[in-house]
Amino acid sequence: MHMADALVSPAVGGIMLAASAGAIAYSTYKCKDDLDEKKIPLMGVMGAVIFAGQMINFTIPGTGSSGHIGGGILLAALLGPYPAFLTLSAVLLIQALFFADGGLLALGANIWNMGFYACLLIYPLVFRPLVKKGITKGRLTLAAVLSVVLALQLGAFSVVVETLASGVTELPFTAFVALMQPIHLAIGLVEGLVTAGILLFVYNMRPELIEASAHNQKLKSDLPLKKVMASLLIFAVVVGGGLSLFASSNPDGLEWAMENVAGTAELESTGDVYDTAESVQSSTAFMPDYSLKSSEDGSAVGTSLSGVIGGGITLLLAAGTGALIYFVKKRKEKTA
Amino acid sequence: MLEISDLSYSYPDGHQAIEKISLNLGAGESVALVGANGAGKSSFFKLIIGIAAASSGLIKIDELSVEKKTLKEVRQRVGMVFQNPDDQLFMTKVYDDVAFGPRNQLLSDSEVDEKVMAALEQLDILHLKDRMPHRLSGGEKRMIAIATVLCMDPELILFDEPSSFLDPKARRKVIQTLKKLTMTKLIATHDLDMALEVCDRVVILNKGKIFADGPVKEILYDEKLLLEANLELPLGLQKIN
Amino acid sequence: MTGISESMSTINSLEELADKKTIIHQIHPRVKLILTLLYIVLVISYKPYDITGLTFYAFYPIILMVLGEIPFMPLFKRLLIALPFSFFAGLSNIFFDRQAAFFIGSLPITFGLISFFSIMLKTIFTVMAVLILIATTSMPKIAYQLLSFKLPQMIVEQIMLTYRYISVLLQEVSSMYTAYILRSPGAKGIKMQDMGVFVGQLLLRSFDRAENIYMAMKCRGYDGKFLYAKPQPMIKSDWMILLMTAGLLFLMRFFDLGLFIGNFVR
Ligand SMILES: Nc1ncnc2c1ncn2[C@@H]1O[C@H](COP(=O)(O)OP(=O)(O)OP(=O)(O)O)[C@@H](O)[C@H]1O
Ligand SMILES: [Mg+2]
Repeated sequence: MHMADALVSPAVGGIMLAASAGAIAYSTYKCKDDLDEKKIPLMGVMGAVIFAGQMINFTIPGTGSSGHIGGGILLAALLGPYPAFLTLSAVLLIQALFFADGGLLALGANIWNMGFYACLLIYPLVFRPLVKKGITKGRLTLAAVLSVVLALQLGAFSVVVETLASGVTELPFTAFVALMQPIHLAIGLVEGLVTAGILLFVYNMRPELIEASAHNQKLKSDLPLKKVMASLLIFAVVVGGGLSLFASSNPDGLEWAMENVAGTAELESTGDVYDTAESVQSSTAFMPDYSLKSSEDGSAVGTSLSGVIGGGITLLLAAGTGALIYFVKKRKEKTA
Repeated sequence: MLEISDLSYSYPDGHQAIEKISLNLGAGESVALVGANGAGKSSFFKLIIGIAAASSGLIKIDELSVEKKTLKEVRQRVGMVFQNPDDQLFMTKVYDDVAFGPRNQLLSDSEVDEKVMAALEQLDILHLKDRMPHRLSGGEKRMIAIATVLCMDPELILFDEPSSFLDPKARRKVIQTLKKLTMTKLIATHDLDMALEVCDRVVILNKGKIFADGPVKEILYDEKLLLEANLELPLGLQKIN
Repeated sequence: MTGISESMSTINSLEELADKKTIIHQIHPRVKLILTLLYIVLVISYKPYDITGLTFYAFYPIILMVLGEIPFMPLFKRLLIALPFSFFAGLSNIFFDRQAAFFIGSLPITFGLISFFSIMLKTIFTVMAVLILIATTSMPKIAYQLLSFKLPQMIVEQIMLTYRYISVLLQEVSSMYTAYILRSPGAKGIKMQDMGVFVGQLLLRSFDRAENIYMAMKCRGYDGKFLYAKPQPMIKSDWMILLMTAGLLFLMRFFDLGLFIGNFVR
């Protein structure tokens, strides 16, 4: 469910980064209050466990396919919501860097979709109340499955919204939702059952580990969800607003700046996508002759043959430059 | 310099790991602590360095007794090299790992640097300073684990299995290093040949109790005694038959 | 199992690359981090139909790879793994956006096709930028820099600790997995019903490990504070590199080299 950099717009990426940064700041603040120092190494090691654990493929009976664990609910059940969220954020950052899973600008969206819902929303609102009356095998299983399913549904839906808001794909909303939600329902059921199995095992061996975070009265009683949301929202709006001023997708700050600096109207293409498409389509029924001067016409940039040829040549030039530097460097090394 | 009297300890689950141990170590002594798996060596160390609190009995480092409010000073004077270097080296850079202790003593950057460099140099591993611990060999990790303790200038170092998991060359290097260190050493080990080489005195622990205590030459040559403690003669002393 | 050993070798090879000492490696990590982010933002700020301007940005990864002596193949492999999702997102554009933008001969080139290429180019560029960053800057260096972006110390500590123990845990999982497979002939993976015990066991061991680490920290005076090293400050030359490269990247955004060449050629 990792979103890639290429599929988010600067505005969406920026807002989600800000929102996740806010959630991280808030979690840190919560942890500072009542996290004992013993948990610091535990969180680090658990992050590594989730990282390695996600690489384990298990076979799903009767399907021939395989799955892997997610980790948000599992971590929250073992560490408590705030430490779990921080831990998962660290894991996602490392994955983004080493595996190109997601990306740097999309990291905020990924932390939000996979960490926030599971750790900070579903765990305290669904998981905890379900096991509040005392942990039994049935309750733990129900809590795990339900929480994982819900968290994944929210995450999947967010992927849809964020992708569409980024305007990168033409996939209609309904089709996208109809695709994402059922798939993630299936994934959620499987992952939920596995999570339940893991938690049951740990509970049998070391019940205090799960009880500690399930009954953390201190954390639970003062979990002012409204306050969390409010502070996150304010944070997101302030930072996101600033960011989107700087670089957003539709009439955005970057384009605005470009217009002023370059004075070209390359920006015509920022109009409604369909308008542009139609007008360009009608005007390209015959091939208009572009010249440098009339760049205003050719401004549905890239939507012309000369654009494509030029783009191709640019790529070749880039490769050529690389090769040139490479050989010059080799030469120098040899002579040196 | 280390005085232990009537020390007992039970784990929270009720398992008694240490039972009425009394032991004295003189300054500069190098003592091997041997005993089968589960004899209680690691548990004993945890008590000395105050990670676990004794159920009863007294531990004194010179005049300083080990208790909750003296832990800070105890840990400056006593160092411990853990059984598994991956547990001991938790930073992402060797330098930072070695510097962890001195930095916690709130020394200035230049003092920290001095101590780190001195420790690395003493162990002849200066070249590893900028490496990442998780990319080192077992032998290198062990040497760095020793450096992390050494740079805090302890008067007493507890070594938990310093020669385990090492190839012959790395083991040899650890042995040479141990021989060179002049502070008081208590070395828990299954490697009796190393004990023979490095230590002057041996304490045998069996099921949480002291089973024998004496000079290396007497104890490690006594086949009957060793067998009773579930141990066997050092390889170097076994006759080929 | 492929997942484990593959990720071990990926991490290994990227770390080995980061050990080199080229000009690119020596650039201040903060500069590289900022430039990478800027590059990504600029690349994805292009409109879906604007691919000619986008092509200009190919220069950045290519030049960095050559100067940073990063071999192409390992990065290319990672790229292939990252591409499929974007590929399908792009593919849907080809289906849903079928208006012709222009014709090559009588062959219609649709807007969907153009935006498909735009997505692919953006994917390639952004993934390359991130991989180049990590191939020329070690993870701890990046983590320290996050402190100078005012990220809370606690999360940076988590990144460092998790990173430190990833290889230990991967090793552990891989030997547990081997032991499991050896005892269950013909199994393609761990059975779903065994996952509870498998991961549960791993978790319990890790709890013990964390306990030991905590003790090791305690023995060396740990008091809740864990990170002391500060990110190294930027000097004049670092600022120069940052400003110049950032300026160039911005200029590239204003100048559509692809279209310029295209018009020139025609
Ligand atoms: N955390 C614990 N909880 C309960 N019992 C424990 C715990 N750790 C150790 N024990 C028990 O205490 C006894 C002593 O263990 P200890 O680890 O001190 O032995 P050891 O001599 O260091 O063994 P080894 O040579 O294998 O390292 C053992 O019987 C062990 O089962
Ligand atoms: Mg032991």
